[in-house]
Amino acid sequence: MSGQPSLWWIDWRLSRSRLVRETIGRFLYFCLLGFALYSLLLSGGGNRFLADRYAITAVLRAEVPAAEADGLARKVAALPPVRSAAYRDPEAAWKEFLRAYPGVESLRGAGGNPMPGYIEIRFHPDRLTGADIDLVASALRSVPLVEQILAGEEWLPRLLRAGRLASWSGWGVFGAFLAGFFLVGRLQERARVVALAGDFAFLAERGVSAGRLACARAAAAAVSGFLLSAAGTAVGGGALFLSLRNFPFLEAVVGPPSDLLLPRTIAGAVLFCCVAALLSAAASLLGWRAARSGR
Amino acid sequence: MIEGFRLGVYSRGATLWDGLDFAFGDGVAWLVAGPPSSGKTLLLSILRGERKPDAGDVLVSGESLYRGSAALALRWRASCGYVPEQAVVDGRLTVEDLFRRSALAGVGVRGRDRKDRADRLLGMVGLPDASGWRIAELSISERVRAFLAAELLRGPKVLFCDGVVAGAGVPCREMLWGLFRALAREGNTVILAERTIPERWALAAGDAETVGPFRVYRLPVPGKEGKEVKGEPG
Repeated sequence: MSGQPSLWWIDWRLSRSRLVRETIGRFLYFCLLGFALYSLLLSGGGNRFLADRYAITAVLRAEVPAAEADGLARKVAALPPVRSAAYRDPEAAWKEFLRAYPGVESLRGAGGNPMPGYIEIRFHPDRLTGADIDLVASALRSVPLVEQILAGEEWLPRLLRAGRLASWSGWGVFGAFLAGFFLVGRLQERARVVALAGDFAFLAERGVSAGRLACARAAAAAVSGFLLSAAGTAVGGGALFLSLRNFPFLEAVVGPPSDLLLPRTIAGAVLFCCVAALLSAAASLLGWRAARSGR
Repeated sequence: MIEGFRLGVYSRGATLWDGLDFAFGDGVAWLVAGPPSSGKTLLLSILRGERKPDAGDVLVSGESLYRGSAALALRWRASCGYVPEQAVVDGRLTVEDLFRRSALAGVGVRGRDRKDRADRLLGMVGLPDASGWRIAELSISERVRAFLAAELLRGPKVLFCDGVVAGAGVPCREMLWGLFRALAREGNTVILAERTIPERWALAAGDAETVGPFRVYRLPVPGKEGKEVKGEPG
């Protein structure tokens, strides 16, 4: 009695043209998903946009020397949640004030510069949380050089909630598209099993078990799903890179192109490819089962 | 050796046959003749391990096909070739597709080798250059021969043919006679199910054994058992 025939890439060997069409469609879909994935990973939903807009202002006392203020700014910048902490001396603060409110130069005439120096503190997008903001604000409040902390406590919770909602919405839409891939993939697999029913019946009559066929198809679907999603994600990432290079204003919302190569971004992309492989295998198995049961 | 012990089948609310014993030796071409609706196709599917008999058992080389392991039944089916009397065929399927499909069910039949062997086999059954033809456009005789050639691609140890001689038609009988005997001479077992045996084949085969509604003929194989059959019954 003979050994077991190889069932690897059985669908490809039975129905190339159909599989090529499906593969091209899946690849294009993965390109879009890859673009969206990198955009979400880099932007953190709406966090980068908010982190770009939001800053804590630590207003310093009038008599604080510039050297001490600079030293304080450096210490604040060393706190983990802080992306940048920049000291503005009273002169720079006055110029900014004039730019914001032109025509009030007369305020300075009598008693000199009325503006105090201040430190502007900005957060990492992924550390823009209530707890981290409290941590930095409370650390600054205990410093004698600081006269006042302007952290927007009144509207901050609403801002953070809006940021969380934007992030969840972004990931929700992404998840919905991924689920769409799974459902369409299952339908495609089912249709392919129906179209190849004669071939599979032929193989079953010649000693190829249905379980082996289903497993071989699912394994091939997983491998092709992983490779296609990897290729699609790479192309999507490349498209995002070019978009960020050509349209720098997007960086404020999405992030710098260099973040595409951060280990956590790459880890996210690899995780996505693994999920795509699992979904492809599951779609293959469920499509097979649905076709066999006539559902 | 394929042995059927006390085989029984209940079909359409009645006993089709019961208590039949068969013994098909290796390296022999057998012909099972039986009237229409006598269960010839059913018998072949039972012997191939496709359909469990309602009574009795089938032993292959001493091992039970239905009471043994499922893996044994799968291995047995993998070693068999089967040409059905009627096959539902996808209209787009070509003769080449038949060979491609057959190669998938076999081990180590790939690419160029498959094409060469397919061309040789098609030539042998009288269908040279037919690889691009659509199955749906073939006559019954051509279709039967194409299916037979595709099955032979894998070199099955046991070949089951259902109505092949009748389907192929009178002009192909001589070719089939030579082919089946050649297969048997090479150590393969051939089991044919037909409504009737061609008269000259019956003369060459000699007495048939009657088993239930069937008559089982052992076709003579040249060079085997020290017996050379004279003449070429076609």
